[in-house]
Amino acid sequence: MFEYLPPLNDHNLPYPDTMHPIVVHFVIAMVLFAVLCDVIGYFTQNERLYEVSCWNLWFSTVSLFIAVIFGQFDAGLSDPYTAAESTLNLHTLIGWSLSGILAAITAWRYVIRSRDPKTLPAPFLGVGVLLVGLVFFQVYLGDLLVWVYGLHTVPVVEATREGVFQ
Amino acid sequence: MNPDLIEQLQLGANGLPYQVPIHPNLVHLTLGLFIVGIAFDIVGALFPLEKPVFKLLAIPATRSNFFDVGWYNMMAAAIITFFTVAAGFYEIMLAQPSAEMQSVWGLKAMETMLWHGVGGVVLLLLIVAMTIWRGFQRFVWNRDRARQVQWLYLLAGLGIFALMFVHGTLGAQLAAEFGVHISADRLLEMGQDPNLLLK
Repeated sequence: MFEYLPPLNDHNLPYPDTMHPIVVHFVIAMVLFAVLCDVIGYFTQNERLYEVSCWNLWFSTVSLFIAVIFGQFDAGLSDPYTAAESTLNLHTLIGWSLSGILAAITAWRYVIRSRDPKTLPAPFLGVGVLLVGLVFFQVYLGDLLVWVYGLHTVPVVEATREGVFQ
Repeated sequence: MNPDLIEQLQLGANGLPYQVPIHPNLVHLTLGLFIVGIAFDIVGALFPLEKPVFKLLAIPATRSNFFDVGWYNMMAAAIITFFTVAAGFYEIMLAQPSAEMQSVWGLKAMETMLWHGVGGVVLLLLIVAMTIWRGFQRFVWNRDRARQVQWLYLLAGLGIFALMFVHGTLGAQLAAEFGVHISADRLLEMGQDPNLLLK
């Protein structure tokens, strides 16, 4: 299978750097800011912030599908050593799940907004807080893959190619 | 930083007193908020062209809402970036990359860290300046105009995207090439097997 790919660099990638960590900027920042705007808008009765939240939520949903696609590219080429495998599996599972969950929440928001853009039901706020919790956990798992296990970093790729890992 | 000074602290394998670095996580917020803020101002500025598309997709959209997103996202980017830069400087002071290695851009670790540090301060200043500029457009100059933002402001935003790309690549090189604050990379350098120690 690998003979169909362009030559891999010292990050074990056919492109210069990992793409997934760049695309996820737009999921993480937009989800967190959307929920923050909802919370502030709810308690200060500022309906303008509901619109800001809606558009950020929409942007995060589109970005998440792109993030999952690039995540699959990066993960498929990461050649994880045994210790990193379970974290990568869980990160993948939650990533795919999140794309469904976030799309559903955004769809719900579309219905709420279509009916009355000036009010936000409290349950939506609660779901937003749960969503933030899930996103934080997912970011933490991604952090482990990069900052603890060092997948796609030059030293780890070199060690893998030299067969250092037991 | 002098290695003897760093040894005065109780640090983990990654050279930090905590498990994963903070700066790269705040970077998600700075970049996401700034880029999307400019993007929505562009959407607002080009609104007359998009109107039929929103109608076709049955998405109710008001022009001023896009400028709201542009303003609030930019303001949030300015606030969070103070913390992004602060965390970055804390973590750069504890960095101990290899002295011999060179990045794909032909820079050694110290040059990369210095450029990334200077670039961070410059970007913070630019983001704050853009927010103030945006505030004047929103509340003083263009208050009653259909198009709230100047073309020059959007152009400046695109220029800052380019700077962010170069700056972000330097930061990525510190991690993925020099292995700064990455547990597995530090362990490999010490001749240990991360597969056994990071289980």
